[in-house]
Amino acid sequence: MEKHEQITLFKEKAEAVQTSVIEIGELQQAFLYAIEVTKKQGGSTIAAPGLAQKDSDALSAFRALCEENGVTLVTENLRSQIGKLHTGFTVADHAVAETATLVQDSSSEDVRIATMLSEIHVAVLPASRIKADAMSLENELKEAMKAPPSYVAFISGASRTADIERVLTIGVHGPQELHVLILDENVD
Amino acid sequence: MISTPHDVKEYRGHLKKALKNTFLGTTLDNFATSYRASRAKAFEGMDLEGLIQEIAQGKDASIPYLEELFTLFKARAEAAGAKIHVARTATEANEIIASIAKDNGVRKIVKGKSMTAEETFLNTHLEKEGYQVTETDLGEWIIQLRGEGPSHMVMPAIHLSRQQVAELFTKITGAPQDPDDINGMVKVARRELRQAFLEADMGITGANFAIAETGTIGLVTNEGNGRLVTTLPRVHVALVGFDKLIPDLQSALRVLKALPRNATGQAISTYVTWITGANDCAPGPDGRKEMHIVFLDNGRLALARDPVFSQALRCVRCGACANVCPIYKLVGGHNYGHVYIGAIGLILTYFYHGRENARAIVKNCLNCQACKSVCAAGIDLPHLIKEVYRTVLEVEGKKPVKNILLNRALKDRRLFHFLLRRAYLAQKPLAGGGDLIRHLPFFLSREHGFRSLPVVAKTPLRDQWERINPRLPNPRYRVALFGGCVVDFVYPEQALALVKLAREFNVQLEYPMEQTCCGLPAKMMGESETAREVAIQNLKAVDPTEYDYILTLCASCGSHLKENYPRLLAGDPGLQVKVDQLRDKIMDFSSFMQNVLKVSSEKFDGHYRKIAYHSPCHLCRGLNVTQEPRELLKTAGLDYLPAKDEDVCCGFGGSFSVEFPEISAELLKRKLDNVEATGAEVLVTDCPGCVLQLRGGMDKRGAKKIQVKHIAEVVADSLKK
Ligand code: SF4
Ligand code: SF4
Repeated sequence: MEKHEQITLFKEKAEAVQTSVIEIGELQQAFLYAIEVTKKQGGSTIAAPGLAQKDSDALSAFRALCEENGVTLVTENLRSQIGKLHTGFTVADHAVAETATLVQDSSSEDVRIATMLSEIHVAVLPASRIKADAMSLENELKEAMKAPPSYVAFISGASRTADIERVLTIGVHGPQELHVLILDENVD
Repeated sequence: MISTPHDVKEYRGHLKKALKNTFLGTTLDNFATSYRASRAKAFEGMDLEGLIQEIAQGKDASIPYLEELFTLFKARAEAAGAKIHVARTATEANEIIASIAKDNGVRKIVKGKSMTAEETFLNTHLEKEGYQVTETDLGEWIIQLRGEGPSHMVMPAIHLSRQQVAELFTKITGAPQDPDDINGMVKVARRELRQAFLEADMGITGANFAIAETGTIGLVTNEGNGRLVTTLPRVHVALVGFDKLIPDLQSALRVLKALPRNATGQAISTYVTWITGANDCAPGPDGRKEMHIVFLDNGRLALARDPVFSQALRCVRCGACANVCPIYKLVGGHNYGHVYIGAIGLILTYFYHGRENARAIVKNCLNCQACKSVCAAGIDLPHLIKEVYRTVLEVEGKKPVKNILLNRALKDRRLFHFLLRRAYLAQKPLAGGGDLIRHLPFFLSREHGFRSLPVVAKTPLRDQWERINPRLPNPRYRVALFGGCVVDFVYPEQALALVKLAREFNVQLEYPMEQTCCGLPAKMMGESETAREVAIQNLKAVDPTEYDYILTLCASCGSHLKENYPRLLAGDPGLQVKVDQLRDKIMDFSSFMQNVLKVSSEKFDGHYRKIAYHSPCHLCRGLNVTQEPRELLKTAGLDYLPAKDEDVCCGFGGSFSVEFPEISAELLKRKLDNVEATGAEVLVTDCPGCVLQLRGGMDKRGAKKIQVKHIAEVVADSLKK
């Protein structure tokens, strides 16, 4: 029940910052989603760093799906691929419902490049990782900071500016779209 | 390059020019309006006051220990592979950063937005040393290309129109840009700056937080340029003021809760980045980032030890104090600060950029309290502005003649009141028998002609008091009236209205004759010693224990008595108790009617029809009274028509309107325009100073004139016969 409330709140707040959110029941759906939006937008490369460490089986599955669909999947040395990356694909570590914020450990340079220099960012968010507010994540954040070096990113929506006549414009330096796929494995 | 006038005369020239810039005036006005709404929405359902208190207390607790926090930070950050430097001055900071660049064979540099780097004029220094520096925040990039400084701490290019940006980008790209295609222009920046990111060897950022317990820096941005600046180049330098040191993550998260909401009305900025140590970076030595953090003192550590000014270090650079400032709204940031802008800019300029740059701008404050009421860190900005003004006067040792005269007059009540009585005779030929002076006396120049001036009353209130104030046999309350100079000598009729109501509701009024000016004008002119002396005189004249309440018709006197007396007389054991008692008993007219007398609407029949209301700064923010006057209007059977910006200053500000007549006139014009737009027949307010300004301005308007009255007058007139 509480988890559900957090999801609802996250979705509501995400809307306010132009983040698209859908709920999925298994990781496979996220792969298909990423492939589909990449192709639809005319992209051909997905960067999914960090997935290997998290789940190597999943990575193999993703790779197979990408091959099937004619999409290139890259996972490392991303610096040499800047300019070619269409979709950055990550699994978020935590999230804050109150502000629709993803918390992404970005200590690896590849994760940073995938989430900053791709045209769009697709992030899987395990439903159990959503907390009400940032204060509730204090311990988890501190842990990361106490095991340096570390680079922890809060991401709430797509890159934006209002620097020209205060007109809100999305996509100035970072990704132009943020897609969050809430993964709730107990739901069918 | 930024240049700020060093004297008021030159400064007024700049202000006049800014007032003619209609784009600026409209943009900032729209911004102020939408900011209010989005801020309110962002904090909806939160205990905002409590949060501000917590932030202020947290900051106050760490300010005395900045050096200890630094030691801890240094140990942690060094253990994580960062190199820590301390710069005592701005020049030292620039030199340290230039030498880091040199040691690392850097040629090209990208920068994230940093007010601290603006403070040290880092770009100028690095460019002189031969480095190519590119600002990557869109607004900063635009002003860098134009060779300007920021005009707002959060939105540096807010003073520019889309046409100006299009023109600039046309020049940069060589291809014509459509000013209405803002998205297209943003994409130009995306393209151009992407190249700069890829080519840079070094990235420079500021930091919003330096967390001591972990040696972490926190960066808050929307565009994401800060992330690229800290990721792509092999060297990262963060330039951080000592004031950004904070003990732990919890304190940082607390500030983060308020910062974006207060800055732009966003629940959170798009990217918040926490960096601890030298991270993974392919082109860096051994695959690690070359990470440097330069802590800037530049007067901060001395400021931290100052009993009055240390609270300026609480500032979290949200920019809100500019957003709501009525003067900022008229003239923009280039005319309202030096590098730092808005209320906090008037203060910090003195400490970081010197007296010359602070001298003129620090006078340009109405004391309207709008900034204070939104400050994320609860800084008493108007008070500190006056304290800076006072310090500048003291340090320069050259008091303006008007200060010397004011001091002499105020310290001697008899002399002061004698002078006021004499004024009646002096002005007679100018007034031509009316109650307003339409043509100015010779010593005021034409700029002051935007309002008629009131004539001093023939018989001041104090001379009529015994005659007009009846003795009641069994009064409900015994109440002292603190008149204030304007009611006493200019508008005694406002007190007469009060007397009428007091009789009706069985309240015995008293007018302690030894009372004098509350002393606010002295404080406004930086004369705290005089302010202190008159405070003591008034405390001797009005002993709070003798009365149930102490009533004032003047919001400015009321808030000065309540808020500044304790400050002026702090540490004076004999007076402290009396000050506290006074504080407990001071009340404004509307609160007294509504909350104490609880007057019933049956007594009134609403003598006037359509009423507009102006909410005086010192009532709504000084005394926190907002509901009572509006409710009282309803109680009195009056038809209240809300106007736009009711609680924005009318531009009076006491001596302010004499020092900066153009600003005062423009604020007055906007106020009266808003009032006229309601279709009201009478404009009501509860401060005689505002009445003076509003009535004088209304008199000068050609069209159908709206009457201006004190709320006590319309309520007394509405009593059933
Ligand atoms: S008191 Fe009013 S005029 Fe002075 S800085 Fe604050 S908002 Fe501006
Ligand atoms: S002084 Fe207060 S309102 Fe102004 S920028 Fe600093 S924190 Fe924000």
